[in-house]
Amino acid sequence: MGHLTTEEILKSEVVLSVEDLVIKFNLRGKELTAIRGASLDLHKGESLAVVGESGSGKSVFTKSFMGLLDSNGRIENGTIMYKGENLAKFKTEDDWIKIRGKEIAMVFQDPMTSLNPLKIVGKQVQESIELHQNLKGEEAKKLAIEILADVGISEPERRYKQYPHEFSGGMRQRVVIAIAVACNPNILICDEPTTALDVTIQAQILQLLKNLQEKYNLTIIYITHDLGVVANVADRIAVMYAGDIIELGTAEEVFFDPKHPYTWALLSSLPQLGTKGEALYSIKGTPPNLFKEIVGDAFAPRNPKALKIDFVSRPPYFEVTPTHKARTWLLDPRAPKVDPPPMIFKMRDMGMNGGANNE
Amino acid sequence: MKYYIKRLLRSFLTLIIVVTVVFLLMRLMPVEGYFGASFDKLDEVQKEIKLKNLGLLDPWYMQLKSFYVSLLHGDLGESITYRPKVAISSIIGSKFLISLRFGLASLVVSLVVGLSMGILMARSKGKFWDKIGTGYVVGANAVPAVIYYLLIQVFVTNWFDLPLLFEKDNPVSWILPVLCLSLVSTAYYAMWIRRYMVDELNKDYIRLARAKGLRNKTIMIKHVMRNAFVPMAQYLPASILYTISGSIYVESLFSIPGTGGLLVTAIQRQDNTLVQALVLVYSSIGIIGLLLGDIMMAAFDPRIKLGAEGGSR
Amino acid sequence: MSNKVINKIADNTDSSLFEFAEYDASKAELTGYSNYSFWRSTIQVFFKNKVAVTLLIVVGFIILFTLAQPYLPNQKLPNKIYLDPATGMQLRNQAPNAEYWFGTNSIGQDLWARIWSGTRTSLFIGFAVGLFEAIVGITIGALWGYVRKLDALITEIYNVWDNIPTTVVLIILTYIMRPSVPTIIFAMCMTGWLGMARFVRNLIIIIRDREYNLASRCLGTPTSRIITKNLLPYLVSVIMLRMALAIPAAIGNEVFLSYIGMGLPLDIPSLGNLINEGRVLMMTPALRYQLLFPALVISLVTVSFYVIGNVFADSADPRNHV
Repeated sequence: MGHLTTEEILKSEVVLSVEDLVIKFNLRGKELTAIRGASLDLHKGESLAVVGESGSGKSVFTKSFMGLLDSNGRIENGTIMYKGENLAKFKTEDDWIKIRGKEIAMVFQDPMTSLNPLKIVGKQVQESIELHQNLKGEEAKKLAIEILADVGISEPERRYKQYPHEFSGGMRQRVVIAIAVACNPNILICDEPTTALDVTIQAQILQLLKNLQEKYNLTIIYITHDLGVVANVADRIAVMYAGDIIELGTAEEVFFDPKHPYTWALLSSLPQLGTKGEALYSIKGTPPNLFKEIVGDAFAPRNPKALKIDFVSRPPYFEVTPTHKARTWLLDPRAPKVDPPPMIFKMRDMGMNGGANNE
Repeated sequence: MKYYIKRLLRSFLTLIIVVTVVFLLMRLMPVEGYFGASFDKLDEVQKEIKLKNLGLLDPWYMQLKSFYVSLLHGDLGESITYRPKVAISSIIGSKFLISLRFGLASLVVSLVVGLSMGILMARSKGKFWDKIGTGYVVGANAVPAVIYYLLIQVFVTNWFDLPLLFEKDNPVSWILPVLCLSLVSTAYYAMWIRRYMVDELNKDYIRLARAKGLRNKTIMIKHVMRNAFVPMAQYLPASILYTISGSIYVESLFSIPGTGGLLVTAIQRQDNTLVQALVLVYSSIGIIGLLLGDIMMAAFDPRIKLGAEGGSR
Repeated sequence: MSNKVINKIADNTDSSLFEFAEYDASKAELTGYSNYSFWRSTIQVFFKNKVAVTLLIVVGFIILFTLAQPYLPNQKLPNKIYLDPATGMQLRNQAPNAEYWFGTNSIGQDLWARIWSGTRTSLFIGFAVGLFEAIVGITIGALWGYVRKLDALITEIYNVWDNIPTTVVLIILTYIMRPSVPTIIFAMCMTGWLGMARFVRNLIIIIRDREYNLASRCLGTPTSRIITKNLLPYLVSVIMLRMALAIPAAIGNEVFLSYIGMGLPLDIPSLGNLINEGRVLMMTPALRYQLLFPALVISLVTVSFYVIGNVFADSADPRNHV
């Protein structure tokens, strides 16, 4: 699990506050609503995991914090408050230059293509330093070598002069992390940082990120669809579905006491919870078409236990604890009592016994 | 290293085959060509004697052999009908410098203008300048070159009062020919760099650079432009060398004494040795150009190791 | 928001809505109906490009007109030398007038008729070369790409042929066989098939090994369907492009041959030798029309085919489909 306790999270200040964000894309004449009113508060020093399947909007959501949306996308509504400014209103490159790198940095998914193949690695790290840390030339180079060592690259002086194709996948990801860290950011967004890597390397990279978080006092957002990664690093989890954050809570709360049927379905799909000899659980159906307007709860058509009201009006957030809320009508006092599927209880048992998820 | 030696040998072999093929093709030409106007006036015996003297009656493998033998001596042979008995090396030598100079001048112009135009087009993608540029490129590529050369000669000379014919000592007379020569390659470079830039801008590492906080302009110059030179390096040596073969149209339209018309005239006059020598020279140029291009590319692109497999071009 | 606040807002909601709804598994799969048709989208995108459509109309009109022109009333013969009825002299170099719409050339032939006849000839040559290149190029290219054993052999042949300057081959062949329409077509085809073969071969190699074709085969898709649905759309658009571009190229080559004196004999008018005739007179402003009219027609035709070919190839790219 993550490194902060619930009290620590509640006490630390909010660095980024997103409210009712609506993002639309113009796709060949038709409009797609990728984010349908998501809200989130990011606390200083925490590790927040944004979980969801492909197409749920996790990447788009975080890219909007840095103005990295594709040119056919726009923020239609909502606010992103950072240090007193509303990032949702930023339009020009000059505005975003103040944020990118310096305040918020990003680590992309595919280390194979994230680096300029024709530039030595050291220079690419040094570029960040010269941009954001007021150093030039030799001093910047020294710091670059230090950072390369920090991210776990051995023989950093020699490696400084090498090209990306001379590094393995895991090493390249370390370089990308080095570039991000060299910007000296406040917030680090990691977009599926380990998806393209081997399992063994995954663990190393995650540990590296945790170390860097301590050393540089970073707030990290992990975007992932891998619940194993989440269990490893997250303080809090935000579950996204069809462009909305449908559940938000501490890692323990979401894993052991999930409230939204989608979260149930997601957790039930974990292969570790399967019983030998029985079919593995999978969620029937496919996510909804975001070109059309969604009425009610987006997950309702796939939910065998859906209520009629799920098809009529969109559930608001219901609070379970001060740190845990979910968008489901099941939490309304008038709703019938629905038990989570047996898998969830199984998870709780395994978790209590310190089993499945590793520290 | 081994790779390059293999490449060289392969190219050499190709060269020999090419020359032989052309040689054989030339032998198919009708016999009248060797005599020009005097064909009807000579009788059979005289014709035989003349052909024999020119070595044209020997079996083809003997003719081929004597060609290669003299080649090894550095002798490209003598011209038969074009300038009888004159060493071909001197014929080519005097002309090719001029073509080379023109070629280089137009190369520089087309690079500068073409690249700038292409960059401008990429930046205003879909908008005004892009459309104008595309119109130019379409015109340059679709319409046969000679047409606009002629139109330039007709109209531009009137508007700007520029000289029509090339004079060695008059630098102003260079303007129109160089302009004409660069028209097509400018279009080529413009389209090439436009496409390259548009493609590169969508790549991941550019997104990362943007996420780092680099301005678009800086990204353009320091990342995209720098990377663009690598593939370009591959084609430069060949382009430079091709200029030696001159442009038939431009050189004849502006009366430039270069190598451009030489090949055509040689074929028309059935000057076999001259044709062979020219084909040899041009093909060698092409092959050397490609080879140099590969070396340049390997030198600039750190990803290419000198053992990689090559395919057909 | 706390539960209490929600209650106030939701109080107006009918409590019967809090019953379970019927679960319809098929609704879970509804993402949206797709009635995508590759060719229809291609044509749709093509017709959105106004320039291409205009040029298509222009070219269509020109082709129809060249074919119909001899049958229109009052047309003159392209090779007939017209005499001034009053003096019996050849009507040389007449500027365009009511009788001779494009004027006459230096020996009294009607330029209008000559130009349309020439366009016919040149277009015919262009189409023939394009067609031949397509047939031969595709066949050789397909064999080259598909049959692995032939790959090395044909590559070598290609390399040799590629290194022979095309001008040399063109000129020599034309010279040997004496310029005429069939020989020019033959000569151009000899040099032209290379590009198409190479193209097709590269495409086939890429496509054959692409994973979606492997997947299709694994799914048991019959070969005919793989060809029509996977390969053909990709190939056809590219081949159409090359065929469309073959026409301006053929016209260019023909102009070149005429320029160096290897063109068609003058009694077969072609755009190439018309340009050549006009070129001689171009410095005299009064006679310039003899160059300008053929130049105009050539430009229209070549630009049209070039643009149509390119726009069609772009339209066939699925990334541009709506």
